Amino acid sequence: MSLSGLFDIGRSALFASQTGLYVTGHNIANVNTPGFNRQEVILETTTPIVTGAGFTGRGVRVAGIRRYFDRFIYNQIFFQSQKIGLTRTMSNIMTGIEETFNDLKGAGLSGALQEFYSAWQEVSSSPDLLPARNLLLTKADSFLRVAKEMEGAIKNTLNDIERQIKDSTEKINSLLKQIGDLNGKILQVESGLLSEKANDLRDQREEALKRLSELIDISYYEEDNGSVTVNHGTFALVERENVSMLSAPVERDGRRGVFINGQDITDTIRQGELGGLLSSRRDIENYQLFGLRRLVGSVIKEINLQHRQGYGLDGTTGVDFFTPVKLYLDNYSQGAVAEATITDMGQLTLDEYEITFASGNYTVRSIQTGNLVASGTYISGNPISFEGIEVTVTGSVLQDERIVISPLKNLIKDAEVAISDPLKIAASSSGSTIPLDNLNALRIVNLFESSLPELGDSTFFEYYNALVSTTGIMSRNAQDSLKFEENLMAELTRQRDALSGVNLDEEAVNLIKYQRAFEAGARIIKVADELLETILNI
Amino acid sequence: MTIYEQVKKGLQNSLEELSRRNEELATGKRILKPSDDITSSSRALGYKVEISIREQYMRNMATGDLQFEFTDNVLSSLSNTLLELRKLTISGVNPQDQQARLFNSQQARFLRDHLYELSNTRHLGRFIFSGMRTDREAFVYNPLTHTYEYQGDLGEMGLPLNSNSLVGINIPGSEVFSPVLRNSAPSSLSDGTSVIYTESKDPVTGVNTITIEIGDPMSAEHDVFTVTNIMDIANRLSYAWQYEDIDSSFIGETKAMHRIEALQSLIDDARTQVLEKQTELATRRQFLKDAEERTKNLLNTLKKSLSLSEDADLTEVAIEIQKAQTGLEALRISSIKLLSTSLLDFLK
Repeated sequence: MSLSGLFDIGRSALFASQTGLYVTGHNIANVNTPGFNRQEVILETTTPIVTGAGFTGRGVRVAGIRRYFDRFIYNQIFFQSQKIGLTRTMSNIMTGIEETFNDLKGAGLSGALQEFYSAWQEVSSSPDLLPARNLLLTKADSFLRVAKEMEGAIKNTLNDIERQIKDSTEKINSLLKQIGDLNGKILQVESGLLSEKANDLRDQREEALKRLSELIDISYYEEDNGSVTVNHGTFALVERENVSMLSAPVERDGRRGVFINGQDITDTIRQGELGGLLSSRRDIENYQLFGLRRLVGSVIKEINLQHRQGYGLDGTTGVDFFTPVKLYLDNYSQGAVAEATITDMGQLTLDEYEITFASGNYTVRSIQTGNLVASGTYISGNPISFEGIEVTVTGSVLQDERIVISPLKNLIKDAEVAISDPLKIAASSSGSTIPLDNLNALRIVNLFESSLPELGDSTFFEYYNALVSTTGIMSRNAQDSLKFEENLMAELTRQRDALSGVNLDEEAVNLIKYQRAFEAGARIIKVADELLETILNI
Repeated sequence: MTIYEQVKKGLQNSLEELSRRNEELATGKRILKPSDDITSSSRALGYKVEISIREQYMRNMATGDLQFEFTDNVLSSLSNTLLELRKLTISGVNPQDQQARLFNSQQARFLRDHLYELSNTRHLGRFIFSGMRTDREAFVYNPLTHTYEYQGDLGEMGLPLNSNSLVGINIPGSEVFSPVLRNSAPSSLSDGTSVIYTESKDPVTGVNTITIEIGDPMSAEHDVFTVTNIMDIANRLSYAWQYEDIDSSFIGETKAMHRIEALQSLIDDARTQVLEKQTELATRRQFLKDAEERTKNLLNTLKKSLSLSEDADLTEVAIEIQKAQTGLEALRISSIKLLSTSLLDFLK
């Protein structure tokens, strides 16, 4: 072996140490980069040569740079991210909604309802006095105002959810595109290479996948060529560089749906931020919004029914206290015209109904209970009657077309105190016993303490209390779930960081290690140079 | 999780805890939102509703009690006035003493007017003896018939004391001012002249019409007249002392003296009736007071339960704040030490 071989060994040592310093520097530089997996230089001896003394080493070579990455832990983090996205979104939204129903701080409807009840009591104890009657009108107005404010707050949250659904979809699309692009780059970089991996690109892609999984429930698998295929259910979102974008258009009912290639996937999204948004929207509509509307609807319906029976100080009777409950139609048929009227207010359950048409027949179901309340052969113009409601549909209907009837949809928005003259408050039970007769006012007072079938045999107060409790439970559950999932995620992250995270102390040791190796390598060259000089000086 | 993340999370948790405890101290409440403690918050909301309802009943009771007190004062005054009228009828006036008769007549008129005034007493703008028709005077004088007529009805307003019981807070004027016959009515006057009292009650107004027939129908001194209320009685007396009927027609001494004597028992009956109504009113008032006492006790229990459900133990909160502050301080100190030491510091 010649002296020049020593130079080669020194050079290989310098190169290896330099690569080690590069990788260490890269690790240190990315200490705070999300998703970065620490890397390590893989060194191996170069092929020795046979000399008279046997095999003689020829130095070192960089066999590759590997990243510390555990697919098993990553997959756990990946799926955990979906749950975190879901629970964090739900927790944020439900905590906000809970504030709307936070009667413990004096806000909320309970106080206004109590004052409205007390005002009726005042009228019942002084039915002939105008101050009590004026107070009642003011308190009735306050009750509706608070109800409107609460409905407004709930609607604002729902509108915000709609905006977030759009934003979330855009974020998903951006990440899908990013993953597709990274797929392309990885394919390009790793093409033709046997074992070398595009570590940093893979880190970026895995981070993008993790961020995507925080937004929507997806699954993925890596192809042999290094690209990943991302699916939502049976829908492929990314294949190699090809991406299927999501869209979230506003539908006919005013809500956004989520579509992929024209197919509605709204109901299939159950995890991630988008899952949380859709789930929260469903919960808030079904519980808080519907519950509030149902309570106010019940107050209006019951008080009107009783008020109409009584007599005002001016002798008038049959007068509504509030603007009466009316029906709102959402007609999703293309060719039919529909009209709905309330035929018997007493029978009104305050449920919402869906009329569907199929094979020349119609069925009417309560949306809340799912119960079939009417069915028959559809004949244009023939009234369909059920639970105090009569609907007349005229024209042709197509298969599976539907009409939704709601007594609650705009109820709070449209609700007003119907009378402005305090003399018209019907506290008396007869026109001949005015003004001290308070029987009708007492009957209205009793309504507040009566169990009502449309409120599940609860009183107004009990129903509202249950609504507040349900909201509290939903908020608590969301917070607890988030805490649980975050704890789990923290443990997984700890495991991942133990393996893949950058430890600055460790990197500092590596810095010294490679610096020293570099110095030693340089010394080899110096020694070789001195040896050569010695020889040349002979 | 890096050490930095751990420190950050630890600081966040400690600050959250401190902030929460501070809010508890500021508000004095253990539960700040329903999700803090679902069961307690639901109970607290229920208690608040119950308290609000009971407090309203307490206000009703205060209104009722005021009405009872006022009515009782009027009835006392009424009873005294009837006593004065009764004294007048037994004052032993010499029929020949015209001045004395005129004096009695005038006194009876004053008492009649006072009774009339009492019958139309107003409280909070309502005529308290008009039954349900409190917007109109209970009694009005009819100049055609020269009698006092009841304009009210038999209605009684029930004031709710709780969800199950009511108490009537008014007494219809007909039940107070329109006397009913009792056993004390005589069958003959002091001079042996027969007297017959008959009565008929109007079921709608409760007004009792008493017809008094004095003497033999064949006799020249035969007399028949009716009264429906104590103002009518006082009015008849006032005219009788002037030997006149209520339309100012002359009736003579005998008839007049008979009338005065015949009406005495009716005044007694009226006084008894007023006393009975006072007793009834006192019973109702006691019923109200009992209900008020029960409601007050219930309110105390409810308020105590509410406090247990939602109020914070301030001493405990203060200790917890101290603990949280100490914990936060310790975390800060240890974090500084942990974060400031790195091997990189030694690479100089």
